Amino acid sequence: MDIALRQISKSYDGRPVLENLDLDVAAGEFHVLLGPSGGGKTTMVSVIAGLTKADIGSVLIGGRDVSLLPPGRRKVGLVFQDYALFPHLDVFDNIAYGLRVRKLREAKIAQKLKYYLEKTGLEKEKHTFPHQLSGGQKQRVALLRTLVTEPEVLLLDEPMSSLDVLTREQISAELVNIHRKTELTTIYVTHNQAEAFSLGDRISVLHNGKIEQIETPEELFYHPKTEFVARFVGINNILKAKVAATNRYEAVMEINNEGLSQAFMLRAKNYPVFKKGEEINLCLHPEKIDLSKKNEARDNGGNRICGKIAERTNHGNVFKVTIDIGGLALHAVIPKSLFNFQVYEDVWVDFAPDALHPLCGRRCREPEFSRKCHNISSPELVGVCRTDA
Amino acid sequence: MRNLLFNLMISMLSGIFICLILFPLFALFTATSWSELAGQFKSPLIVSAIIISFQTSLTVVLAALVLGVPMAYLLATKKFPGKEILDTLVDLPICMPPLVVGLALLLLLGGESKFGAFLSGRGVDLIFSRPGIIMAQLFVAGPFLIKSSRQAFEAINENVTKASSSLGASEFHTFRKVLLPLARNGIYAGMVMTWARALGEFGATSMVAGCIPGKTETMTLAIFGYAMSGEMGSSIAIAMLLIVFSFTSLLVFKSRIRKQLPSTQRI
Ligand SMILES: Nc1ncnc2c1ncn2[C@@H]1O[C@H](COP(=O)(O)OP(=O)(O)OP(=O)(O)O)[C@@H](O)[C@H]1O
Ligand SMILES: [Mg+2]
Repeated sequence: MDIALRQISKSYDGRPVLENLDLDVAAGEFHVLLGPSGGGKTTMVSVIAGLTKADIGSVLIGGRDVSLLPPGRRKVGLVFQDYALFPHLDVFDNIAYGLRVRKLREAKIAQKLKYYLEKTGLEKEKHTFPHQLSGGQKQRVALLRTLVTEPEVLLLDEPMSSLDVLTREQISAELVNIHRKTELTTIYVTHNQAEAFSLGDRISVLHNGKIEQIETPEELFYHPKTEFVARFVGINNILKAKVAATNRYEAVMEINNEGLSQAFMLRAKNYPVFKKGEEINLCLHPEKIDLSKKNEARDNGGNRICGKIAERTNHGNVFKVTIDIGGLALHAVIPKSLFNFQVYEDVWVDFAPDALHPLCGRRCREPEFSRKCHNISSPELVGVCRTDA
Repeated sequence: MRNLLFNLMISMLSGIFICLILFPLFALFTATSWSELAGQFKSPLIVSAIIISFQTSLTVVLAALVLGVPMAYLLATKKFPGKEILDTLVDLPICMPPLVVGLALLLLLGGESKFGAFLSGRGVDLIFSRPGIIMAQLFVAGPFLIKSSRQAFEAINENVTKASSSLGASEFHTFRKVLLPLARNGIYAGMVMTWARALGEFGATSMVAGCIPGKTETMTLAIFGYAMSGEMGSSIAIAMLLIVFSFTSLLVFKSRIRKQLPSTQRI
């Protein structure tokens, strides 16, 4: 069943949490809703589930307007952020709850649960109470409790935020499996971009009560349209640039971020949005940056600027390196095996022209579908702006 | 050193309070001998006072349960205009002098009022009768049950309620299968408090009951009556019994709650 939100607004005590929010999730899609803490993600899923009433707007499931239906009649399964298991019921009774509400015969319930409990390895725990379960087990019980009622749409509210990495991987594999088998339309809420990229068919980014961008993980990562999305997916190099010159393939950009002691020029792949003299924000992917020793002359036909290593933090198999370029902090992600520098050492920073791309969405305010790149009106050109080529 | 001093202070101040409770009790329990005490409970008037007290206070608990739990649910889960006022109204009896409550009931139910006349015209006499005592006690003691159950309902994780309705349960089903079981201990606590308060009620009861020995004289009224007429022995016997009842019921209840908590209330 596909899900559609139309012009949903919700405020608490006059403070807007969701503003004219539109969203379309296709039938069978695994959709990830990504957004910062307190951004209204829970509010949004509980509007879909019917547990929170939107001030205005409508919710359509399978084309049917369910805005006025009570939660129980929407066929929406919701797994709560805090699991919300019934503390006075054991695992079996928790999972059976929805079936008993539906007045299924006890024999039928027992038979159905036996199958599920065995499959999820919860058989041994069926008579334990929620407070005796581990986080991962609670998570599974909460998921099962919802799945046994056979919803048409599944909403998962930060299902893994309180689990350790191993359990997370295990459960996310289970989720993918379940999704593949049932083709249940799923909205998966998270604030974790890594989770979003690994799970989502498409990702929508919620910011200030609006969906700022909806895209496949690949597109979202390589073509964030706004500064917020770029930073949220981990691209924290935002360069304020002015187009100095363009030719068919390349553009020369003058970088003049605040704090920079001296503006410098970079070569970027040409995008149709680049018009001579225009100012535009560029983002530079940290993983597309190479570092080399200053005395090793090397020319790769790309950009080469000189800087000084300011900081280095350890992230497992990579280092995140901050390089000071005359007052501008540039962030790079360098595999450990390629990093043989000292902090405060002078380095060359190399990156190809296509490591830069424009942030071509108007910032933050417009709903995603109405946003375009500057100066482009025809849809093909929007396409051009997006392609990585 | 500073901690030691602080803890010493805390212990001393608590100690003073304990003395305040214990000394009067000691005085009461040493005022008479066991044999004399046993003799007192042979008096039919004392026995009837005990029976009346139990009848009325237990009825009050039942009535408070039936009327108070819905009110607690209403206050804990619903938003409606005038909720503040209702909330205050429900708390009012707790800080109202019981004598004033009695007076108000007397005015409402007495033969001179329209309502009282209407009732007695139909053969219902609430003044100087057990139903009148029950009303007075309910007025004074009922709010304890409401308060305690309301707190219990409010302590339940809102998402648990939402989960129930999301799984298809009606509000009534959720109330019966989720909220009531989870609020159980709070409701029990309210029942015990209401019962103890009703059993010890004096002011309001004295106004509407009229102390007819053997008919409307509760234990507290009897204590007062005997003490005033100089029969200290009877007075003390009933008083001791009252304390023993309240103390043991509180004790039993508290230990029961403590045993239950780990398996049901936490998550
Ligand atoms: N019942 C409520 N009453 C008042 N304000 C609320 C209520 N529910 C949510 N809010 C506010 O709405 C905003 C969005 O909350 P919401 O729980 O939807 O965010 P979220 O994106 O799910 O955050 P998190 O990642 O922390 O779970 C928050 O600022 C929160 O304080
Ligand atoms: Mg949330």
